[in-house]
Amino acid sequence: MRFARSSKGAWAARLLGPGALLAVAALPWIAGSYPVKLAQEILIWGIFAMSLDLLMGYAGMLSFGHSAFFGLGGYVAALALRGWSPSLASALVLPAVAAAVAGLVVGYLSIRVSGVYFIMLTLAFSQMFYAAAFNAAWLGASDGIPGIPRPRLPGLDLDRTEVFHLYVVAFFVATAVVLARVVRSPFGRVLRGIEDNERRMVAVGYAIDRFKLAAFVVAATLAGIAGSLEAQFNGYISPEALFWTTSGEVLLMVIIGGAGTLAGPVLGAAAFIGLQSLMSSYTEHWMLILGAAFIAFVLWAPEGLLGLVRRETERGT
Amino acid sequence: MLLFLLSVGLTLIFGMLGVVNLAHGSFYALGAYAGIAVVAFTQNFWLALCLGPLVVGGVGAAIERSCLRPLYGRGANAQVLLTFGFIYLFDDLIRWIWGAHVRTVPPPRALAGAVMLGPTRFPAYRLFVILFGLGVALLLWLLLERTRIGAVVRAGVWDAEMAAGLGVNVARVFTAVFAGGTGLAALAGVVAVPIQAAYPGMGVEILVRTLIVVVIGGLGSLPGSLAGSLILGQAETFGKAWLPDSSMFIIYGAMAAVLLLRPTGLCGRALR
Amino acid sequence: MELTRRKFLGGAAIAAAGAVVGRRVRRAGGAPAPLKIGLLLPYSNVYAVLGESITDGLSLVFEREGWSVAGRRVELIKEDDEVNPQIGLRKVKKLIESDGVDFLVGPVSSGVLAAIRDTVHQARRILIVANAGNDEISRDRCSRYIFRASFSNWQPNSPMGGWVAAHVAKEAYLVAPKYAAGFDMMRAFKETFGAAGGTVVGEDYTPFPVNEDFAPFLTKIKQAAPKVVYAFFSGSQAVRFVRQYDEFGLRGRSRLCGAGFLTETDVLPAEGSAALGIITGHFYSTLLENRTNQAFLREFRDKYKRTPDGFAVQGYDTAQVIVHALTATGGDTRDRDRLVDALRSVEFDSPRGRFRFDPKTQNVIQPFIYVREVREVGGELANVVIDRIANVKDPGTGCTLPG
Repeated sequence: MRFARSSKGAWAARLLGPGALLAVAALPWIAGSYPVKLAQEILIWGIFAMSLDLLMGYAGMLSFGHSAFFGLGGYVAALALRGWSPSLASALVLPAVAAAVAGLVVGYLSIRVSGVYFIMLTLAFSQMFYAAAFNAAWLGASDGIPGIPRPRLPGLDLDRTEVFHLYVVAFFVATAVVLARVVRSPFGRVLRGIEDNERRMVAVGYAIDRFKLAAFVVAATLAGIAGSLEAQFNGYISPEALFWTTSGEVLLMVIIGGAGTLAGPVLGAAAFIGLQSLMSSYTEHWMLILGAAFIAFVLWAPEGLLGLVRRETERGT
Repeated sequence: MLLFLLSVGLTLIFGMLGVVNLAHGSFYALGAYAGIAVVAFTQNFWLALCLGPLVVGGVGAAIERSCLRPLYGRGANAQVLLTFGFIYLFDDLIRWIWGAHVRTVPPPRALAGAVMLGPTRFPAYRLFVILFGLGVALLLWLLLERTRIGAVVRAGVWDAEMAAGLGVNVARVFTAVFAGGTGLAALAGVVAVPIQAAYPGMGVEILVRTLIVVVIGGLGSLPGSLAGSLILGQAETFGKAWLPDSSMFIIYGAMAAVLLLRPTGLCGRALR
Repeated sequence: MELTRRKFLGGAAIAAAGAVVGRRVRRAGGAPAPLKIGLLLPYSNVYAVLGESITDGLSLVFEREGWSVAGRRVELIKEDDEVNPQIGLRKVKKLIESDGVDFLVGPVSSGVLAAIRDTVHQARRILIVANAGNDEISRDRCSRYIFRASFSNWQPNSPMGGWVAAHVAKEAYLVAPKYAAGFDMMRAFKETFGAAGGTVVGEDYTPFPVNEDFAPFLTKIKQAAPKVVYAFFSGSQAVRFVRQYDEFGLRGRSRLCGAGFLTETDVLPAEGSAALGIITGHFYSTLLENRTNQAFLREFRDKYKRTPDGFAVQGYDTAQVIVHALTATGGDTRDRDRLVDALRSVEFDSPRGRFRFDPKTQNVIQPFIYVREVREVGGELANVVIDRIANVKDPGTGCTLPG
């Protein structure tokens, strides 16, 4: 499946960019606590969705098992923060390392197959993670792990909403910047070349497997960080974070938002979480709307919301 | 046996259309609820067994024609994503129409109670499910191997372009196979209700198990589905009782292993 | 740089939505604000019947009060937690943040309660637990904002351990679903059972929340042939277990005992004759003869045309707690400390006996735990009381609330 890629810039964007960031960061001071919590959730899932976009939109690998790394990050953070020490190492380093290692193993094995088999293999692997968490009483079984404390950082009280909010924003910005650099780098160009025409890249002499694996590991690591943030946000992690439908949800976000753009998936996350939370006060049938919207996008607008927006704004140019 | 009915449909759809129908579980759920609706109106379980699959198969045909067909040029990924969207759609639809309660229907009077199988008492309805499944398997095999329609379907599974070249209306066969596959899923749904009861999440729950069966048995193969569902059924039964904490993990591991080492499964043929 | 343009759009959208939602929770001054009670209960999945029962019991009280307490109109906001901790967490956040409820009532599943406990405690919102019995909520994870009007998982099972060892047999096979409540209940039974000289010959935990087929476990039990099987199941799982237990021919061979939820009134009719002879422990039975229960039975049957169960009593008591506490504070819910003190001193007559909270754990002290046997009474199945243990208090180890 081909996706559009963002390559143009605009002076307006350069002016408005910092404005957007400021608006989101200032939310705790201008809005009630419910929208602030929603925003945090969107940012966290935005990181998760962007990481999947690297895999899907730029390297062309449709993985149905990305939740494995998200959930793994969450569980490692939960165990480390609760049982070892409530420090940044527990909250960031351990989950990232665990997710990277898992990404290495799963990626190495999964890359050997392609197409539909790749989809099913990634699904199978993430279900193995799910099975492990769901059945192990020491991991809380179907109850998950509650009571996860937030890390204790010097001089910062993460139990306060504003502080935690900026903490999440910081991670989001860092991830976005890192990914933006990656996709623009020579590495990123090779990935896009692989998605475009794998045979050609092989003919030219690239060891494409190594590039694919590297993309897989990077995506997994970032997903693990998102999972750890989710565990800190909720104070709770459950096996659902590992279930294949979670992989499906983040996939939904990437497609609806617009794959291959990095920013699209964030829009997709906002759309999904917004619909789920806000709409559910007005209508019970947000799932129907979402499902129908998703189908519509797949059929008629595979470039997602972002693609549609760009089509409109580029009319004038 | 339920797994068999489900996996046959899924494997044929995949073999013929190259589509992994992630919404297959949702058709199963739809079938179950359709069956409940028929029983509510007519008090006749046997009627539900006939009507449910027909109605749901019709829905499947409609979806194939309107949504899947335009995507055939776009590659497998687009189709898989599309079927995934339908899971959400159907789940909500079911909740909307029938509510979220667990619903059940008692087995037909002829099959309530137990039979003596040697030294053990065995619920009569479960026996029926096994025999029924075997019966359907036999019918399907006859259909595929001994009739012209079956030959056309097999030709399409084997090589769709060739079949088109030979004058077969491939598009119509595709629709028919999709409808047939989803109809089988619905049949499984109706049959399942007296044992397992119906609830909105039942489709998602059974989908992954169906995928495991199809992978182990071999994508596109009917005998593979039979073998796969028997293997998985036994593995689950023993696993739950003797290795409760690790059986799920082992089963998914087996699925991954098969995909890595022998993607065509036990009986499948290599994909073009 | 396109990245930031999109981010601006996204950010602006979020900010706009935030302002809109934030503004929704404003009220005009003047008339006393309605009393918002958020019900976080399952209305789907395995425990749906329990959710309905609790809601019915609760509504009975409020209807009697004319839907007004201490001059404030009562407003119920129902959210379905689907017996899923993740969903429960999301919904409780909505109830607290978006709906701004004064009281939270629920949940049913111990798993859901474990997940929401921290959120509730940090938001300093009063939660009156109408079912979920996880022991930890009365122990190391207790909170001054959380009160429990139902039971702790320990309460019905601990007395049963000693009783079964003394009156039935000293050998038992345990089976329960694999989640917090299952673990808690079996642990409580094992302690007193073992102390009374009993031996546990097998212990199995079944998948939760979805499990259709108990066949593999029943086969194992059949092979072990224990004298007693002690089980905890509730809702639709209880129906399936009891029926399959009978189908597999175990009813005549191993005496089935368990926590009361196995044969409560909500599931007894569906279980039918398969339930005859089952011995269970519970804080309630429909056959209790005290005046409050007789009045309760009459009212409930009149309004809902069916016989209530222990869950309805829990809902009923929860509503009573709210009514009494609010009457004491004159309708004030803003002063949390005053409200908490009022709640702690609540005392009234409940269908189960005299209702009081244990100040040490803010968990209800069960006036009695009744040992009941399922028998046919007047053409219907009922839980006949054959023995009782008085004044059952959760030990509350590790809870640091002021006593």
